Amino acid sequence: MLSEKLIAEVLHAALSTGGDFAEIFAEDTYNTSINMINGIVEDGIQGRDHGVGIRIFQGVRSVYAYTNDLTPANLIRVAKEAAAALPGASSVQTLVLNRCAVDNMHLIKIRPSDVPQARKVEVMREAHTGAQGYDQQISQVTVRYLDTEQNILIANSEGLLTGDRRVRTRLAVQAIATKGNEKQSGFYGPGRHMGFEMFDLINPREAGARAAKIAVTMINADYAPSGRYPVVIHNEFGGVIFHEACGHGLEATSVAKGTSVFAGRIGEKVASDVVTAVDDGSIPNAWGSQNIDDEGTPTRRNVLIENGILKGYMVDKLNGRRMGMEPTGNSRRQSYKFAPTSRMTNTFIEAGESTVEEIIKNTEKGLFAKSMGGGSVNPATGEFNFAVMEGYLIENGEIVKPVRGATLIGKGHEILMKIDMVANNLARGQGMCGSISGSIPADVGQPTIRVSEITVGGREGGN
Amino acid sequence: MDIRKFKELVFAAGRSAGLEEMEIYAARTKELEVRVYKSEVDNYNLSDEGGVGLRARYAGKIGYAYTEALDDQSVEYLVNAVKANAQVIDSEDEIEFFAGSLSYPEVETYYPELDQVPAEEYINAALEFERTAQSADSRVDSVNWALTGYFSSDVFIANTEGLEQSFRQNLAYGFVSAVIRENGQVKTGSKSKSIYDWAQFDPAAMAREAVEEGLSLLNAETVPSGNYRIILRRDAARSILATFSGVFSAEAVQKGLSLLGDKLGAQIAAETVSLVDNPFVPHAGGSRPFDGEGVAVQKTDVIAKGQLNSFLHNLKTAKKQGVQSTGNASRPSFKSTVGIAPTNFYIEPGEDSYNALLTQLGDGLVIIDVQGLHSGANPVSGDFSLGAYGYRVENGKVVGAVDQITISGNFFTLLRDVEKVGSDLEFGLPGGAGNVGSPSLLIRGLSVAGRRGK
Repeated sequence: MLSEKLIAEVLHAALSTGGDFAEIFAEDTYNTSINMINGIVEDGIQGRDHGVGIRIFQGVRSVYAYTNDLTPANLIRVAKEAAAALPGASSVQTLVLNRCAVDNMHLIKIRPSDVPQARKVEVMREAHTGAQGYDQQISQVTVRYLDTEQNILIANSEGLLTGDRRVRTRLAVQAIATKGNEKQSGFYGPGRHMGFEMFDLINPREAGARAAKIAVTMINADYAPSGRYPVVIHNEFGGVIFHEACGHGLEATSVAKGTSVFAGRIGEKVASDVVTAVDDGSIPNAWGSQNIDDEGTPTRRNVLIENGILKGYMVDKLNGRRMGMEPTGNSRRQSYKFAPTSRMTNTFIEAGESTVEEIIKNTEKGLFAKSMGGGSVNPATGEFNFAVMEGYLIENGEIVKPVRGATLIGKGHEILMKIDMVANNLARGQGMCGSISGSIPADVGQPTIRVSEITVGGREGGN
Repeated sequence: MDIRKFKELVFAAGRSAGLEEMEIYAARTKELEVRVYKSEVDNYNLSDEGGVGLRARYAGKIGYAYTEALDDQSVEYLVNAVKANAQVIDSEDEIEFFAGSLSYPEVETYYPELDQVPAEEYINAALEFERTAQSADSRVDSVNWALTGYFSSDVFIANTEGLEQSFRQNLAYGFVSAVIRENGQVKTGSKSKSIYDWAQFDPAAMAREAVEEGLSLLNAETVPSGNYRIILRRDAARSILATFSGVFSAEAVQKGLSLLGDKLGAQIAAETVSLVDNPFVPHAGGSRPFDGEGVAVQKTDVIAKGQLNSFLHNLKTAKKQGVQSTGNASRPSFKSTVGIAPTNFYIEPGEDSYNALLTQLGDGLVIIDVQGLHSGANPVSGDFSLGAYGYRVENGKVVGAVDQITISGNFFTLLRDVEKVGSDLEFGLPGGAGNVGSPSLLIRGLSVAGRRGK
């Protein structure tokens, strides 16, 4: 994308004032997105993202600038303009770039750009049929297909020169069930760090049926009772609760500033003994995986919590300077338009020893949150709020009926202590995680777990 | 390459490739964002970027493509991608390539003095946020956000039917948030504002307001579950309105995704409620002279005294319904397809001040913020169940803070349950749902989940 000579010139310009570290992130990305509503392809868009981000550190200060005018004169101008924000005189020595090849852990068999649009639409039609044909109450089906090929180059003043290609594919189905005047929706959106071969693993028809099943179950459900009681959170996307309520607090972004409840607590007990939690960006072809992070550090498996004890954080270069810790391969960004920071990749609670049947059987009265919707959290207080997309009432150790409209609210670190059973059925689900460095693909995950008590917001007040 | 030259190249290449009609939508933005932490500039972001979206008709169908690189390679890429996309489109929707409105209104969207504010002023204001917030009270633990920024954009639209329009807009903004710690409790208070006149910007006052709000939330308790009379303070009301604003889009209606489909002319809200889309509001982020299809904008009364008057339209939905476009075609960026979004979308303010609403509330709760809007709110059914916090009110006086509660209800029911509309209209920072604003609203009743038993 950029010549080594130009890279060196831009890095020099970036360090022409008081900066002690400079980095270039160049990107050329091709995106495809197609939307189908009720079996009709409504619109499709393809696009090319193309630009360069320049980052400069001075101690723990940082400056970020980006542009998509990649002419040498402009890149050097942008680097100088950014450098102007950092006072001081240059102390740069000669720069030697060492080209560093990346071991590709994520084999791509079929590049999306080699697949005709019509073939992509065929997959969408199957997903549509799977959802529409599931039940007569299904009144709307929206199918979205996305693929992206991101080609990046990273160079920095420590001499690093590396690159990566990230290919991702996703199919997202939203089904709406109607009964009288009411509507309920269900969603399922599998994705992988893969090309079109993802559909060898994921049957689009089943994906559609899965979204439809949630909508149909919920339209025929009563409202969930509100109150405080035990909640069994199912595996796969159920891990969103850990992601939102705990994972964000383990990112160096919030730890370095002391705003996280987990700050300064390495080695302390932060969860019940049955909880071990991991972030692993190196899982082959997983949605949140990549060979290197967006600062060029190889991704790896990082144990965050082991048997309830806090073991580590997710750390990027800048916050690593603040915390005196090494980067962990977690520095990520949506695109060259964002300075990278510590983010999750594939984050999950490890499998335990119970079975799902045991957990349900041991729950006298509670909620079984089978599919979770999204959620949000206040990182300073740990307070979270999650929607239960598909829920069931448990009575006397049995699932008795579906319930809708439930939300789970509480504080992440308190819930961690209240996880009292963990099943053996670890699975991961896909999401887009939004934070200060943009929206990035991330896997959430867990086995089925039980939380002894959570506040459930629902319709039926009081009991 | 210059946008007008790039346009000529694309239109020429498109014509030889058999594209029938073409439209270029281009945007170039410049941004500066400064964040201060512990008296240092912690983040300093500068950008200058833009790109071009091409929308074209090929064999009767519409394709889209975009690029951020304005080079020869992109001319070819755009034309090929648009063709490939158009070939898989099934939609028979009639898309009009608009030749232009007869005239365009003068709308104030660009504030030249704002362009003259040097970067140092942004740094100083962010430092002031932090300094004032940190020293405002001994219980301020840290200032987790002290941020200022500037944004300007040039929008250009042109098509093969003769349309060619452009406009420039800019705004500055500030955001401050303080973390309060006392006896093991942690609370945050924040304040954000769009700025159009730098001289009016008072970072110290904003910082003090943020701290005051954080302090006011200390010693919060939950409340017994039940039904409460409620004031949705203007910021909480605005968040809820923004979340459900999509139900007023004609596109949602025509796709069966809005429960308002058959309600035109019906009384859907309390008589106190009038909801407007107004692109002419001075000093508001959604103001503009034309929409994403080049149609001149207009003011639309969506709800007039409780009665549903109009949906928001673009050319496609207007044609389908046999009405005129309301000038609400949206292109959040050159990468987006044409959709529908409000401009400045707000509930018309009433007569009563916030304090007068408190008096009329008598006993109940004030909700100042809701959480979980992207998960706990169903934009189709209108159902919501949201984490919330605020204050407990007795005899019209705030008597304590409330947290760890969920408010549940339905947006459509809520519209009918508005007893009073306050006079304190405020807009948020402009975003994807347009620039949404609301005064505080006094609501007859909402279900609140807190602790068990009353």
